[in-house]
Amino acid sequence: MLFITIFTVLQYTDLFIFKYPHFLYLIHQPRQDPPPAHPQTPELRAPLSSPANLGPAEPSALAPPVTIEAFCDQVQPQPQTPSSSSGVPKLCGYLQKQGGPLKAWKQRWFTYEEKKSQLFYYRTPQDVTPLGRVELGSATFTYPLKAENGTFHIQTPERTFILKAVSQQVMLYWLQQLQLKRWQHRVQQSAGSPGCSDSTNNNNNSNAPGENQPLPNTSDFQLTGYFKSCSSLLLQELVWLLHKALEAAQLEKRTCGEFLAAKGEQERLELLRHRERQAADLRSRLEEVKTEAEALRRSLAQRDAQLSELQENLRMMMEKNQAKQEVIVKLSDQVTACMSDPLHSLSSPSNGLDSQTFKQLQQEIENLKDDIEAYKTQNKFLNSEIYQLTKLWRKSSEQEKSLMVKCAYLEASNCQVESRYLGVLRKLQESKALEAGEREAVKKLIEDALRGELKSVAKLTPHRDHDEYGFKIIPDYEVEDMKLLAKIQALEIRSHNLLHQEAGDRPLLGRWAQYLAGRSGDDLCASPELKSLIRAGVPQEYRQQVWRWVVRARTHSIKDHHPQRYTQLCEKSRTSPHPASRQIQLDLHRTLTTNQRFSSPSSPALQQLRRILLAFSWHNPAIGYCQGLNRLAAIALLVLQSEEDAFWCLVTVVEAIMPLDYYTKNLVASQADQRVLKEFMAEKLPRLAAHFEEHSIDVSLITFNWFLVVFVESLPSNILLRLWDAFLYEGTKVIFRYALALFKYKEEDILKIHDSVEIYQYLRFFTKTVSDGRKLTSIAFNDMNPFPGRLLRNRRAVHLERLQGELRELEEQQKEFVTESAERKDKELDTMVSEDDEEL
Amino acid sequence: MAIRELKVCLLGDTGVGKSSIVCRFVQDHFDHNISPTIGASFLTKTVPCGNELHKFLIWDTAGQERFHSLAPMYYRGSAAAVIVYDITKLDSFQTLKKWVKELKEHGPEDIVVAIAGNKNDLGDIREVPMKEAKEFAESIAAIFIETSARNAVNVEELFQKISKQIPPLENPEVDSNESFKLTRQPPPSTRRCC
Repeated sequence: MLFITIFTVLQYTDLFIFKYPHFLYLIHQPRQDPPPAHPQTPELRAPLSSPANLGPAEPSALAPPVTIEAFCDQVQPQPQTPSSSSGVPKLCGYLQKQGGPLKAWKQRWFTYEEKKSQLFYYRTPQDVTPLGRVELGSATFTYPLKAENGTFHIQTPERTFILKAVSQQVMLYWLQQLQLKRWQHRVQQSAGSPGCSDSTNNNNNSNAPGENQPLPNTSDFQLTGYFKSCSSLLLQELVWLLHKALEAAQLEKRTCGEFLAAKGEQERLELLRHRERQAADLRSRLEEVKTEAEALRRSLAQRDAQLSELQENLRMMMEKNQAKQEVIVKLSDQVTACMSDPLHSLSSPSNGLDSQTFKQLQQEIENLKDDIEAYKTQNKFLNSEIYQLTKLWRKSSEQEKSLMVKCAYLEASNCQVESRYLGVLRKLQESKALEAGEREAVKKLIEDALRGELKSVAKLTPHRDHDEYGFKIIPDYEVEDMKLLAKIQALEIRSHNLLHQEAGDRPLLGRWAQYLAGRSGDDLCASPELKSLIRAGVPQEYRQQVWRWVVRARTHSIKDHHPQRYTQLCEKSRTSPHPASRQIQLDLHRTLTTNQRFSSPSSPALQQLRRILLAFSWHNPAIGYCQGLNRLAAIALLVLQSEEDAFWCLVTVVEAIMPLDYYTKNLVASQADQRVLKEFMAEKLPRLAAHFEEHSIDVSLITFNWFLVVFVESLPSNILLRLWDAFLYEGTKVIFRYALALFKYKEEDILKIHDSVEIYQYLRFFTKTVSDGRKLTSIAFNDMNPFPGRLLRNRRAVHLERLQGELRELEEQQKEFVTESAERKDKELDTMVSEDDEEL
Repeated sequence: MAIRELKVCLLGDTGVGKSSIVCRFVQDHFDHNISPTIGASFLTKTVPCGNELHKFLIWDTAGQERFHSLAPMYYRGSAAAVIVYDITKLDSFQTLKKWVKELKEHGPEDIVVAIAGNKNDLGDIREVPMKEAKEFAESIAAIFIETSARNAVNVEELFQKISKQIPPLENPEVDSNESFKLTRQPPPSTRRCC
């Protein structure tokens, strides 16, 4: 803050003002000294305030607003207020004024004009026309702290006057006086405005020039002053009135004379009329004057209101100011306290401390320093210890890791060796060149190997038997006569898992994390990048999220229409039994029985599944319930975890992805797809197709359920879910790709088998022996290219039409047969009856 | 010993225990909650019969009605058909009659039909009287037996009976050491859909 408002308390005891030709002096003098007048300047009014009056003037300047109001109340009833100029010494003097574009200092003669509360300034005191004036009524006074000594500002709404007095003291005097004047002016304005104009004349008369009257500082003083002037005014008024009355009487007398002097009746009448007209004229003028007076009174009331408002403002300002001052005082107290404090603190220890405690403290400090030293050394040592230990720990963990890898590798190779050994045993078992004893030995070896299975499996899989979704990691092989082969497969899967556990999944997880970073689960959008990511398989961490998104994307139109659809369907299936409910109930406990979450009859998943299937049967009455839907829903439930989401996933698969009539009566679309598959096999896998042809193998006997339940319970869970990821995203093409890829994956093995029964037997379970999911995926999406969707659709349409034609034909034949046999039966019955008759 | 391959298909209503019978016969194992068959499943079992070995190629089919349209794929070329019903469910016996009719209309001409009343262990909630079923079986000249896959009752016997019903080979020209296939061609008929 650069400026401080000049309400600060001035602490000068004696202020005298001398007027010299060029400067306004402010001299510090003893109180007793009388104010010396300047002989050369007759207009001098000095001193402006006597030392005796200055004391009480201070509280007046700082007086609380209440006092001012009381003051006003006392003054207001006065009908005629004296002009402010009456008996008050004039405030005038030289000041430097800054002005012009160069901001040069120019000396000016300043005079305070009380009537309008204006400060006029002239080039010289003798000049008549002022150079300019400063309106003090609404001016504020400040002085900058950092400017030259004596500089102060007067700010009016129009402009700022920058003035300079010869010294700081003179400046302060000026400011104080200006404040006082301004305040006086305000007070007078509020009190005496109505009579002001009327009494101008009298005021002029009553002006007592050269009167050395002190400034009115207290209300008492002011009042006596007012009474004095009032009495003289009344006297004058009386004289004036009498004068007027005299004048009027004289006029009347003259008129009467004229009247009497008038000759004849006519003239008198004329004169009388003339007078009457004059009287009317006067009456109307009186009326005018009255209205004028009324208007003036109104404006007076308005002014009064304004004034009281301003007074209120002033009061608030004063209050604020007071508060600020208090704060300043407090702060300055604090500053002084602070300044003196250091001295205290310096002096106190030297006094209060004796040498004994001082020594003790020094000793203590020494001890502490010693301790610090010790701790430092200890810390250094411990740091090096931590560093070394970390190094050791890292080394050993690296070793451990490499050992783990080695162990996994060894275990894997052990598995491979074992599977090869079992393979050899299997060959030996089948070989017919062995003698009975050898055969016996081989049989024993096989038995040992199979018995060892349990033990070795327990040992080989110490971590867990089930994956995150509750599927067995190594699937069961229920085929009795294939036990040996199954074991071999299990070992292969195991060795594969061991070798590839680490290598493949980490980068995939990283890619997914990167892709999903900054995306919420709901706003994935189809893109080639997402497609390739999904084909590689969604990591278990993100699978639920991705599936939910796909399901939402594929069902949002129906869901938007019926947001409460699932709850309503559940409600409906609770109240009214669906014909399919019996079949659903029957299949409920036969769903994914090898999965942990469904194996227990009390599992909550079963109830969820039941509700989903019942809701679906109401949702899609054309399908109702088809065996197999339970498996689809179960997979959805396992992954999505939410009943409603699983329901919509089922809807997605059946209604959005699969072709129409895939699950309806006769399963026509499913059957058509089997023919489409055969066609694709002939193209993509010609050797295998020929092989099957040769051994009259109908693959659809095997593949039908792959399609109907999208490989559930046909593939190991990790591959199955990866397939489903792509299936949900891309559609049925994925089933074809994987079906063909499965045959391709084991093509060589199948080609080696030349017995149809064995081929069927092999086909029945070979899907579960696929261990390398990545290889399978690569075959499905690379080796099977190109795989245009249009081709698939066209073939589907062709086969569907053909199949429907055949079905119609069959129905007709059936009808024909029925009628034919009915006729035949009639005849048989006739003959039988007749034979019976004969016997009888 | 000569091995004869016999294709057998199992038909019948849903949940009557077709798969359980097969499971008991082939693996001598019973599972309460065996997965419902979708499409069909295939298992084999070889049993001695006289001086022959009969290798049963068993096609176990799905029971739900809408899968019926697939059945011709499985009973085509079959030497025998086992139609299973649940003695505790009258409905399943009605379904059995439908199957008999269908086999008569579309099945191979000399197919051996066996009727198996399963869940014999649940006699106290029986809905199908044995007499009625037996009479029906006799009326169509079919093998009849009540079984319990759960308690392993009459399952072996069922297949033995079928074995006995299979007519012996007319021309045993095939080397006895080698296995051969039953080259039973489907009748030249246009009645099949698949």
